[in-house]
Amino acid sequence: MLELVLQSVASGIVTGCVYALIALSVVIIYKSTDVINFAGGEIVMLGGYLGMMGLVYLQFPYTLVFVYAAACTFVVGAFFDRVVLTKVLGRAVPGQSILVAMVIATVGLSYVLKGSVRLFPYTEDVRRLPPFLSGEPVFFGTVVLQPQDFAIVGICTFLMLVLWAFFSLSMTGKALRATSQNPRAAALVGVPVRTMRMTVWGIASGLSAVAGILLSSKLTMSPDMGVIVILAFAAAAIGGFASLPGCIVGGIILGVIQNLVGLFVSSRAISVAPFLVIMLILALRPQGLFGGAVMAKKV
Amino acid sequence: MHGTPRLTRLLPLLALVLLGALLPLFVPQYYLYIGNMLMMYAVLALGLDLLLGWAGQFAFAHIAFFGVGAYGTVLLQSRLGLPFVVSMPLAALLAGLLGLLIAFPAARLRAVYLALATFAFAEGAQWLFNAWDTVTGGADGLRIKAPLLFGRALGDDLRAFPFIALILALVVAATMYLTTSRLGRALCAIRDSEHAAAASGIDVRMTKVIVFALSACYAGIAGGMLTTFQSFIHPESFGFAQVVLMLSMVVVGGLGSLAGTLVGVLALGLLPEVLRTTMRSLLIWQELVYGLILVLAMMYMPRGLWGTFVRGKAGRKTSR
Repeated sequence: MLELVLQSVASGIVTGCVYALIALSVVIIYKSTDVINFAGGEIVMLGGYLGMMGLVYLQFPYTLVFVYAAACTFVVGAFFDRVVLTKVLGRAVPGQSILVAMVIATVGLSYVLKGSVRLFPYTEDVRRLPPFLSGEPVFFGTVVLQPQDFAIVGICTFLMLVLWAFFSLSMTGKALRATSQNPRAAALVGVPVRTMRMTVWGIASGLSAVAGILLSSKLTMSPDMGVIVILAFAAAAIGGFASLPGCIVGGIILGVIQNLVGLFVSSRAISVAPFLVIMLILALRPQGLFGGAVMAKKV
Repeated sequence: MHGTPRLTRLLPLLALVLLGALLPLFVPQYYLYIGNMLMMYAVLALGLDLLLGWAGQFAFAHIAFFGVGAYGTVLLQSRLGLPFVVSMPLAALLAGLLGLLIAFPAARLRAVYLALATFAFAEGAQWLFNAWDTVTGGADGLRIKAPLLFGRALGDDLRAFPFIALILALVVAATMYLTTSRLGRALCAIRDSEHAAAASGIDVRMTKVIVFALSACYAGIAGGMLTTFQSFIHPESFGFAQVVLMLSMVVVGGLGSLAGTLVGVLALGLLPEVLRTTMRSLLIWQELVYGLILVLAMMYMPRGLWGTFVRGKAGRKTSR
């Protein structure tokens, strides 16, 4: 039994890292634009299919595929913010929440992406990308891990470090943080707020695309795989939708919870676990597991 | 807009009830089916609009209450042997009570968190409809025996049509009353600013809870309506795709307006039928088209079809 538990925890950590990546993309968008991106899962899905296109039609090597899918979705995300959200923001109607309008626009985007992917041939079946690293599985006592699992954890950790360095060291990253804390003040000191918002949407979408390729090579891919975003929401809720380290921990916790629920309760209960996590956290500790006192957002 | 509804505004409702009684005599069954669907969606959308358009609360849980209404109506009849006239209102009440239960924690949450929590609740409910197969029939669905209404069997489009039209008329009348009542004005105040509403003596929390429960009740009624003309219910009917459809109806028609909501229901409810009959090969575009409609409506018609139309008319009048 212990071996089974250890094995599920180990593979939970691997998938959890990918969830954390998606959660990061949801949270950085939320922090800088106050929008919960309901199309987050569809961007993951788009990334997976762009990966398939790169591998199969364009015959790219795997390293190039990651860059290419991330670049394409960067454009999609930035374009959506620039063209759609800017327009929605500028069309505020008195007595109607602008947030509701923006969130509905992301729901629309999710349908547009899902619908467009379905138009292409070979998307109707559930598929899987080939592993990008093959080799002998590694044994830790009784726990078996594939080389690919290490690569997934490695890529995720690398991207998180890059993101951290970008936000805390680079000038653009600092400008982004300024924008998310107070857009008006940021604009006053000369930060191009619009460009910053676009950049955030682009970066977040690029992250999701990488997560999409990782997921499609570890698990499976289909046009409906966007529902995965619920796991990212749950992970983000654990981090209180504010803390980036919190949502990384949240992602890993969820990956492990999923596997343990599958082991101890039933495989059918796996899919309901994230909903329960979200509801419990929002009802009991809306500031997240690691947040301090509830911080009032600007009125 | 404010004030008690005048009697002349009830005339269209009378017409609706009359049409409900007469149309089944000479309209083909397929059109009656579409009519039933549209009228059911109208009840759903009106309930959602109370919450989203009038109170400004962004919640996805509506679909779960729709499911509770449908499964409740069927199960109360088949398991407890209650007659339809009792089980349908009881199921709607049950949906309302469940809404009340959800409303207390939900009323604390603002905007985006509320959307998230209710999204999770809706997905959880659909999971339950799927997983609790000893009661709901699980993924295989649940077969419905034609419900008896005062000795007359409903159960198909033809026989259910007058009943459904009557229910819609009652619901629309209730909505007219609600939105022009003190509660309706309190809802608008909360939507525009919770702080200002609280400062002028409105119990924000209580009002939110009430509207949440009412909206759940509407969805429960719609669930009961579904069981009168379908012979089969299935967890798929209560999934996220349906939420998006309802949301599109309310948003495209025009938030916070009864006429707007009905226009939205007509426009988006007929769209798949039009796609299916005129361009069968284009059905694969359906998701894409819905998504585009949502995005474009948010970009260019923040007031919805109806709001844009009304404003256009008002604009012409003032420019003259």
